[in-house]
Amino acid sequence: MSGNKIDNAIGEFRSLDTSANQDQWMNRLHPLVKLFLTILYITVTVSFSRYQLAGLLCMAIYPLAGFTIGEISFAGCLRRLRIVLPLVCMVGIFNPLFDRTVVLHIGSIAVTGGVLSMITLMIKGVFTVLASYLLIVTTSIEKICRALRMIHVPKVLVTEILLIYRYVTVLLSETGRITQAYSLRAPGQKGVAFKAWGPLLGQMLLRSMDRAEVLYESMCIRGFSGEFPGGAERTPAGSEETRRTGRSSLCWLLFWTAAFLLVRFVPLAEWLGGLFV
Amino acid sequence: MHMADALVTPAVAATMGILSTTAAGWSIHRVRLENDEKKIPLMGVMGAFVFAAQMINFTIPGTGSSGHLCGGMMLSALLGPYAGFLTMIGVLLIQCLFFADGGLLAFGCNVWNMAFYGCFIGALLIWKPMMAGGATKKKITLASILGCVLTLQLGALSVTLETLASGITELPFGVFLGTMLPIHLAIGLVEGLITAAVLCFVHEARPELLWGVGAAPAAEGRFSYKKTIGILAAAAAVIGGVLSLFASAFPDGLEWSMEKVAGTTELEAAGGIYDTASGIQEATSFLPDYAFKGSESAAGTTVSGIVGALIVLVVCVGACYLFRFFRNRNRKAAA
Amino acid sequence: MSHIHIDVENLSYAYETGIPVLQDICLHAGENESIGLIGANGAGKSTLLKLLVGLGTGFTGSIRVEEIPLEKKTLPKIREKIGYVFQDADAQLFMTTVGEDVAFAPRNYGLPEEEVEKRVQTALEQTHITHLRDKAVYKLSGGEKKLASIATILSMTPHIILLDEPSVALDPQNRRNLIRILGEFDHLKIIASHDLDFIWDTCERVILLSGGRIVRDGSAEEILRDRALLEANGLELPLSLTGR
Repeated sequence: MSGNKIDNAIGEFRSLDTSANQDQWMNRLHPLVKLFLTILYITVTVSFSRYQLAGLLCMAIYPLAGFTIGEISFAGCLRRLRIVLPLVCMVGIFNPLFDRTVVLHIGSIAVTGGVLSMITLMIKGVFTVLASYLLIVTTSIEKICRALRMIHVPKVLVTEILLIYRYVTVLLSETGRITQAYSLRAPGQKGVAFKAWGPLLGQMLLRSMDRAEVLYESMCIRGFSGEFPGGAERTPAGSEETRRTGRSSLCWLLFWTAAFLLVRFVPLAEWLGGLFV
Repeated sequence: MHMADALVTPAVAATMGILSTTAAGWSIHRVRLENDEKKIPLMGVMGAFVFAAQMINFTIPGTGSSGHLCGGMMLSALLGPYAGFLTMIGVLLIQCLFFADGGLLAFGCNVWNMAFYGCFIGALLIWKPMMAGGATKKKITLASILGCVLTLQLGALSVTLETLASGITELPFGVFLGTMLPIHLAIGLVEGLITAAVLCFVHEARPELLWGVGAAPAAEGRFSYKKTIGILAAAAAVIGGVLSLFASAFPDGLEWSMEKVAGTTELEAAGGIYDTASGIQEATSFLPDYAFKGSESAAGTTVSGIVGALIVLVVCVGACYLFRFFRNRNRKAAA
Repeated sequence: MSHIHIDVENLSYAYETGIPVLQDICLHAGENESIGLIGANGAGKSTLLKLLVGLGTGFTGSIRVEEIPLEKKTLPKIREKIGYVFQDADAQLFMTTVGEDVAFAPRNYGLPEEEVEKRVQTALEQTHITHLRDKAVYKLSGGEKKLASIATILSMTPHIILLDEPSVALDPQNRRNLIRILGEFDHLKIIASHDLDFIWDTCERVILLSGGRIVRDGSAEEILRDRALLEANGLELPLSLTGR
């Protein structure tokens, strides 16, 4: 039934955690730099107008560079594209029907505005997903949360995100067992039958709430008093390694910020293409 | 209903981000006021619960299909709207980061569309007033269905407005909305039924866990009535704001989509637009001026531009592979 | 018996529903003792342990930990001295990585970061899981989780540890490992379990609970070999003593 979906989800968590915890150059970069660049990249990418295909194509340099330097395989990202692309297509698919003004000739083929805007929309969909995948595959959730704390996202929220992350896998496996036990006794059913909705989910809910209670006790006996203590970097500040990572992070930040702005505001592709065409 | 980054413009994303951040700030303030340290582990575990529960398929009686839970309304009925909202933010962030369900830039939109309505409108406007006099199974069922349907409709409306304000799609407003709302009516109904089933179970097993039940004596009833009006006004202001944003994105945005819708309805009478391609061709030729598109393409794409872009990419890939080659060689030399 | 560490007098406890769980418990435990708390399901073992760390209010009688009476305002002080290992390791380990979780308590007590680091290192060494430090908690095996949850307690450098059913769901090798580690901890420990073989391997003194009362308090040798006594209280002789 939903066993497969749950196993897939747990597998996804595990594999992302494994790759994020590798000791790679990209992984060592400062999490705040990566978070900022990801958001900046997405912002710049979606800010291209629907006919600016050339500029938009140039934006591929960031995911391309990231995936190559980080030695990350595109395959892991395909699953995510499977979710996003249909959604984007659904919205963009009507553009060619409604907007039929010819805006571009490639050889003898006339390209209409609608086709162009549909293509740019899909490219935006792919690029933005690639960029956020690049973030999560090189940065663990602890580091992202540490970055969030640095920009003063309140502790309550950050703590809660970490707790959700910690218990998602526990509850997913529990859900997997429950639905499996259900489907073993209800062969041929595609989902959970109406009569069982309340009891099945309700039992699970009550058990989760009890678990939260034990969790609270376990925090209390270890000195918890409403606030989580702030963690610290493992590598001591001022060490040679920290300084080197800091320098790389700064370079990475400056380089890409400049690159994004250059691609966005200077018609680089037009000039370059003009030399050849 | 998760919006991808590609569907929003930075301006829309920023507006919705600010709105969601404000709601989150207010919620954090309220949760701190409650000063209930037990809520922190509870929020964490319940967030994980919602995530896990979304994975279960529920067979919809009388049909072959199945639905699943979204969770905002249910969380609020258990944790209260403020803690519920913060929990939903956590769930949405993990979905966004680990599963690309909803984009990072569009995060503010998604929090608003899926968490804000469910937690605030659903809990404060529907759940709380209805439970003020104590809970019964019937009232819980009614409130859950009403709450889920309403909040999902509002969410779908927001998705439509945000997409249109971003100028992403050529779909006329009316057609888009006419597709989104009925779909989400069905989804809301199913979600309402699931929520009702769970909450009724909790009501029977551990009624003390439900939030806001019988909490409003006469005096507070008036107070929450006032609050209700306030929230309605805020919601109206927000919807107005979004609408005006949408309107300003196209100088004549609303008019423009109206015209399109009008053109469409005429054609539907003539034989249906979606039947054949030729019908659509006719339909589009019916639609008035697209002249402004031409002016935009001037700043858009030319063939030389595309060639240039491809050159950039080839150079980039080459540079990256060179980088990797030299680094690996250094590594080998070091080892 | 040397210095008294835990001193319980006439302790009684009932749930909100009025059903009594513990009645008239008297218990004195000294410094280096290892005590097995045995009894059938529902005998009140877990409740007694939880009361000792101040989880649960509304008991009558008195509990003193190292001469400090257990009250609301003394709780932080007492919890620094006494560590409690939950039966469900998933409830105990709520941080995302082992190292972070072990550091949780020392950080909460406001220790400087170098001291935290030292405590974490020692606790991980004591439980032989230094290599798991940066591992995500959900990737641990059952046995590793148990050891990690003991490490989270040891990092508080407690004088007393309480363990609730520590041997549940451990395979034989992990179980032997745990027995060895508990043997290396030379402070007062109280282990609640109905796994009498485990108690036989780890404890010198045994307290038998039944229906919320202490039925017998004596040496492991004496109680765990008393077939009639054990069977009358819903337990059986440890397998290693049946002579099979």
